[in-house]
Amino acid sequence: MCSFHSSLLGLLVALLANVSSAEDSAYYGYGKTATLNEISGWNIDVRPDGQGLPPGAGSVEDGEYLYEDKCAQCHGSFGEGNNQFPALAGGEGTLTDQRPHRTVGSYWPYTSTLWDYINRAMPYAQPESLSDSEVYAITAYVLFLNDLVDDDFVLSFENFSTIDLPNKSNFVPDSRPDTFNVRCMRGCKEPDSIQVVTSVERQPALVGNEQPTQLSAQLSAQPSAQLSDPLPVPAGEEIYRQACGLCHDNGVTGAPRPRDASDWRGRVGQGMPVLVRHAIEGFQGESGVMLPKGGFSYLSDQEVAAAVHYMVGENL
Amino acid sequence: MGKSDKQAGKVLLSPELARRRFLMSSMGLVGGAAAGLLPGVSASSNNLPPNVPAWTRSLGSGVLTNPYGQPSPFESNVQRRTVDWLTPDRIASISFTPLADLKGIITPSGVVFERYHAGLPVIEPAEHRLMIHGMVDRPLIFTMEDLMKFPSTSVIRFLECPANGGMEWRGAQMDGVQFTHGMLACCEWTGVLLSTLLSEVGIKKGANWILAEGADGSHMSRSIPMNKAMDDAMIVYAQNGEMLRPEQGYPLRLINPGWEGNTCVKWLRRLKVGDKPWHHREETSKYSDLMPDGTSREFSFVQECNSVITSPSPEKPWKQKGRYWVEGLAWSGHGKIKHVDVSTDGGITWREARFTSIVLPKALTRFGIELEWDGSPLLLQSRAVDETGFVQPTYAQLRKVRGTNSIYHKNAIHTWQVRPDGSIANVQLS
Repeated sequence: MCSFHSSLLGLLVALLANVSSAEDSAYYGYGKTATLNEISGWNIDVRPDGQGLPPGAGSVEDGEYLYEDKCAQCHGSFGEGNNQFPALAGGEGTLTDQRPHRTVGSYWPYTSTLWDYINRAMPYAQPESLSDSEVYAITAYVLFLNDLVDDDFVLSFENFSTIDLPNKSNFVPDSRPDTFNVRCMRGCKEPDSIQVVTSVERQPALVGNEQPTQLSAQLSAQPSAQLSDPLPVPAGEEIYRQACGLCHDNGVTGAPRPRDASDWRGRVGQGMPVLVRHAIEGFQGESGVMLPKGGFSYLSDQEVAAAVHYMVGENL
Repeated sequence: MGKSDKQAGKVLLSPELARRRFLMSSMGLVGGAAAGLLPGVSASSNNLPPNVPAWTRSLGSGVLTNPYGQPSPFESNVQRRTVDWLTPDRIASISFTPLADLKGIITPSGVVFERYHAGLPVIEPAEHRLMIHGMVDRPLIFTMEDLMKFPSTSVIRFLECPANGGMEWRGAQMDGVQFTHGMLACCEWTGVLLSTLLSEVGIKKGANWILAEGADGSHMSRSIPMNKAMDDAMIVYAQNGEMLRPEQGYPLRLINPGWEGNTCVKWLRRLKVGDKPWHHREETSKYSDLMPDGTSREFSFVQECNSVITSPSPEKPWKQKGRYWVEGLAWSGHGKIKHVDVSTDGGITWREARFTSIVLPKALTRFGIELEWDGSPLLLQSRAVDETGFVQPTYAQLRKVRGTNSIYHKNAIHTWQVRPDGSIANVQLS
């Protein structure tokens, strides 16, 4: 038994030795070398010092046209923001107000932050669809909306670093911890000093029913609103809400609106199979373009069809 | 095989079981309906002693009825919820973890809060790549298969959106712990230490920052300091024992333990090593803390010590006078939780609660304390202390330094008002 143990121990030592020699190498050789060509397709980041910025230029004039076409629907023609989508302009001097208004002009630190973000994430439903010169032009136009450049300005690789955003110097490092509570156990407050200042009432009828309820706050920082309904809605409507509504709610680029009979007149006549096919495969019409599945490629054909039925159903 | 099983099952189905199965499936369809509201499924006296319930007098369904199991349909109220007015749509939005109904410290993967900046992408793992380049000796591209060959590590860590509780800076507003504190979860995360991958590519001298970037439409990007990358940051592919859920970044995400959730970039596709931070949109325009003097704190990474009582809560009211087990969660991005104290009088006197879970660094820790309730109104609070000695602040202390417009990192002592009828209100005190 003793010899069995020692031979087992010997085996263990041998195994451990093997394992540790593998871990000691610190280099596994997994993965493949990233080629310059491969890196170039993903290497999109831009820094304040201009690192990563591609050569090119774009004018405020070109930017205005592009902005109206691709950005104004959500951000407003003057950068004022629509339907809760962010405002891009205005708000100068409000950062110390009760209700600060944070925009590119009033809050953002660097022109590079703007260029990088438009390039990586905008337009919202079609990221990475803009050319470099289009990103330059839209960036220039947003600067113009904030009165930071004139209407004949052309933003370029060369003059990029000369455009400072006003709030740059107000970004500071994190200085926490900045609160210094103590672990008091007894007599920590004067009883008279304790007042309920704000309170949220749960609807009495719903207490215990564990359903989300409407908010009613005595002091509300936001408009009072309904919490999400936990009950599933019909699939077509759900898909519509999550994907299609982004454009179809407001008729972006000629998209027919679900509750607008005039939008659907002439379309419904083609028959559902045609409408569904256009939605799945994409369609270039007189009034605008429908991307295949609206750009939401993860949707199945059935899901797209369900969404079309929901939209058309509203008009039958 | 599945088909013949099903057919065999059909033959065996008693009328009672068929009826019950029908009820179960229709409940599945109605989702959030409370069990007690459905006729025939409520806990009627027919099922209580001395009667023998129907389920005890019949056969249940066979194996593989649910090849991937789901919670009981009677738990269908336990789900993520959102607050629609917070965001313009649900594509760049957030949903909240149902904290009041959860037990222990592990958040079930299916109810971990969601945060998307451009919706939930569907990524084919075979075509997903992680690129590491920049100031490195060997720029590399890894497949998922490559990454899973590296030594793997599993840790239990909390994940919290820095905007958790951000709606409460100006006053009590949200009706329920799901909404006041539910941008919070704690999972076991499995993957590769980022330091392992960094030594694989070889970091050049002077490299101080790493840009992490997602493969979703927003290309979410954050600058991460090198010391965090070399400390405990992880490239994670699994969560709670299975591959990451799509909502949590399938097939790959970054986890920066104890740091704001936004830095834990999901659907991770690229790490670029550099000498300076990038000051991108999600670390300047967003996820920066505006102070009363107009300055903004940038790169405010750590989620400081925080706690909340999850029961009672607006979702878990008390029904009558008597003895109650009060419980909640505490966490700190700086390490372990050292103490949690509970007050019933709005913070005049405190009693130490006890830990009812394992206490891990940068993880949710569950605490509890027994309370005798005589029906009088209470102002119930919890206050956590972490291993650095940091004591969770009051609202007054927080607002004195940070005002009410900093949106992020609100970790104030929270108050539930217990009303004489046992209902629970979210309140704030002077």
